[in-house]
Amino acid sequence: MTPCETKAKSKHPSYGKVFLMFARNSLVRDMMFRANFLIESVSSVCWAIMNVGLYWIIFEHTTSIGRDTGWGKYEFFVFMGTTWIINSLMQTFFMPNSEEFSELIRTGGLDFAMLKPIDTQFLISLRKVSWSSLSNLLFGILLMVISLAHLMTRAENPWHFQPSIVVLYPLYIACGVAILYSLMICLAATSVWLGRNQTLYDFWFYITNFSRYPMEIYARGWGLPLLFVFTFVIPVLVVVNVPARLLAQPLTPRASWEWPLAGFTLLATVSSLNVSRWVFQKALRSYRSASS
Amino acid sequence: MYGLSLEAVRELIGHYNSIAMAIIEIEKLSKSYRVYQKQEGLLAAVRGLWHREYRDVEAVRTVDLKVEQGEFVAFLGPNGAGKTTTLKLLSGVIYPTSGTARVMGHVPWLRDNDYRRRFALVMGQKNQLWWDLPAQESFRLHERIYQIDKKEFTRSLNELSDLLQVQKLLGRPVRELSLGERMKMELIAALLHSPEVLFLDEPTIGLDVVAQHNIQQFLRYYQQQRKTTILLTSHYMKDIAALCQRVVVITDGAIKFDGSLSGIIDSFSGSKILKLQLSDGQSAEGLERFAEVTSVVLPKVALRCARAEVPKMLAAILQHYQVDDVAVEDPPLEDVIADLYQKSN
Repeated sequence: MTPCETKAKSKHPSYGKVFLMFARNSLVRDMMFRANFLIESVSSVCWAIMNVGLYWIIFEHTTSIGRDTGWGKYEFFVFMGTTWIINSLMQTFFMPNSEEFSELIRTGGLDFAMLKPIDTQFLISLRKVSWSSLSNLLFGILLMVISLAHLMTRAENPWHFQPSIVVLYPLYIACGVAILYSLMICLAATSVWLGRNQTLYDFWFYITNFSRYPMEIYARGWGLPLLFVFTFVIPVLVVVNVPARLLAQPLTPRASWEWPLAGFTLLATVSSLNVSRWVFQKALRSYRSASS
Repeated sequence: MYGLSLEAVRELIGHYNSIAMAIIEIEKLSKSYRVYQKQEGLLAAVRGLWHREYRDVEAVRTVDLKVEQGEFVAFLGPNGAGKTTTLKLLSGVIYPTSGTARVMGHVPWLRDNDYRRRFALVMGQKNQLWWDLPAQESFRLHERIYQIDKKEFTRSLNELSDLLQVQKLLGRPVRELSLGERMKMELIAALLHSPEVLFLDEPTIGLDVVAQHNIQQFLRYYQQQRKTTILLTSHYMKDIAALCQRVVVITDGAIKFDGSLSGIIDSFSGSKILKLQLSDGQSAEGLERFAEVTSVVLPKVALRCARAEVPKMLAAILQHYQVDDVAVEDPPLEDVIADLYQKSN
C-alpha cells in the first residue's frame, strides 16, 4: 500500500457500519441455535411475568409503596416496565460483552481486539448482540402501555400525556443504560488487575438491585446513607427512577426536587462515561496478555 | 517562500525517514513483569493473603534489532525466552518497561489506527474468528474495520482462499474446521488488509506434516510476491529452514545470535561429526580412545570430536583402522539448538 492509499482512508472506520455487522453476525449466530434462542426468550419473559405476579400480590396488601409517594399499583408497573426496558437493553447490547471482556483478559484473547484499527472500548463493548434478550424489551413496553392506559382512564387524577415525554423518556432511558454500562465495564476491567474476577462482576447485580425500586423507599432511617451513596457516588438510583418518574408522574404537581434530579442525571451520565473510559484505558495500559 | 508549508516539509522528512530507516527498529527494549512469589502449602497460602513477596521477571532484556523491508526473520528460542513478548510489544498489545521501538515509523504501543491498519499478528494458539460463524462472516467484519475497498476485498479473498485451497470451506462454521483449515482462515483474516509487516507466532503449532508444509509453501510464495516483512517464531526447524534467511536466537530475553541458520552451527557448535564406514570384518572396539562414539551400526560408526581436532583425529583413526569411507559433517541443527537452549537454562 502506498502512502497515498493510506491517506485516502479516513482515520476511523464507520462505527455505524461496524456495529450493524456485529448485530448481523450475532443474529446469524442466534438463528443458528434457534432452540436456544427460543428457550432464552421464553424463559426471560416467564421470569418477567412471575415478577409482575409477585408485585400484583404485594399490591393486594397495600395501595401504594410508602405514604404519599404516589407509587400506586399502576404507577409502579410503569416503573417496572422501565426497569425491564433498561435491563433488556443492557442484556441485549452490553452484558454478553462485559462478561466476555473479563474472559478475554484472563485468556489473553484481548490481544486481537487491541490490534484492530478501531476504538478498543467500542469493539469490546458492542461486538456481540444477544437478540433473544430483546423479548423483555417488548414485554417492558407492553407492561408500560397497559399501565399507562389504566392510569389514563381512572376516574381520580387521570394521567395526562405531555408531548415532551416523547423526547425525555428515551433520553433518560439512554442515560440510565449509559450509567449501568459504565459501571459494568469498570467492574469487568478490574480483571486486568485481579486476574480472576467473577466476584466483581456479580457485584454489578448486587448494586443494580438497588435501582429496581422507587428511591423514596430509601428515604428513611438506615436507607438515607444508601440513598446518598447510590445517588451521588455510584448513581444507580437515578437509572430507572428518573425516566420512570418523568413518565408515570406519581406526584402531581411534580415534587420540587424532580427537575434538579433530572439535571443531575445528565451530569452523572457524562461523568460515568468519562470514568469508564478512564478505567478502560488504564486497564489496557496494565494488560499483560496471557502467554501463549 | 518555496511554496511548501511546514506541514508538507514535515511530511517529506517523515517520508524520507521511513525510506531511509529500517522498517523495524528496536533499541534497548525491555519488558519485565512483577509476579507474586507463591510459596508452597496451605499455611504459606494463608500468609500470602496479607504478606506477599514479588519478584521481577525480565521477559525481554535490552533487545536491539533492525529489520529491513522485505526480510523474513525467524525468532528462535526455548519456551519463555521472550519471543512472543517481543512480538506483542511490536504489536502494541503490551507496553515496554523501557526502551524504544518503531515499526514503519510508528511507536507500536501508541496503537494509532494508521499503524494498526498496516500490520497483522497471527497466533497459532489463539484464534480471532467467530467460532460459531463461517469464516467469511468474520472476513466481512474485517472489511469494515480495516476499511478495505470492496473490489480489493473480493480480489484478496479470492486470491488467498485460492492459494490456501479453502474456497469450499468459507461458508462452513469455524468450529467445524480442522486445526489446519482454521489456521488457514486465520491467515486469510490477517492478510485481507494487505499488511506491510506480519508477525507470525508459531503459525504451524499442532499441525500435521502436510498442513505444515502447505502453510510454509503459502508463506514463502506470499512473501516473495508481496515483499511483506515477516517476523516468525516457531519451534519447527523445518519452518525456519524453509522460509527464513535470517535467524535471531533469543534466550533469557536477550538476543544471543543474529545471522543465517547455518551460522548458528558455526557460532555455537564446537564439534563435528565423523562418519566412518569400516571395512569388512573390522570391529569398532577401541574407537572411544579417539573421540566420543555416538552410534555404532556396523559397518557404520559415528563419532563426535572438537572441530579443531578433526584432522589429527582422522589421521590417528586411519592409522589404526581400515576404513572404506569417511564423511565429516556438522552436527544436526536440532542438536545444536537443543544444546543452546539447555545452556541458557
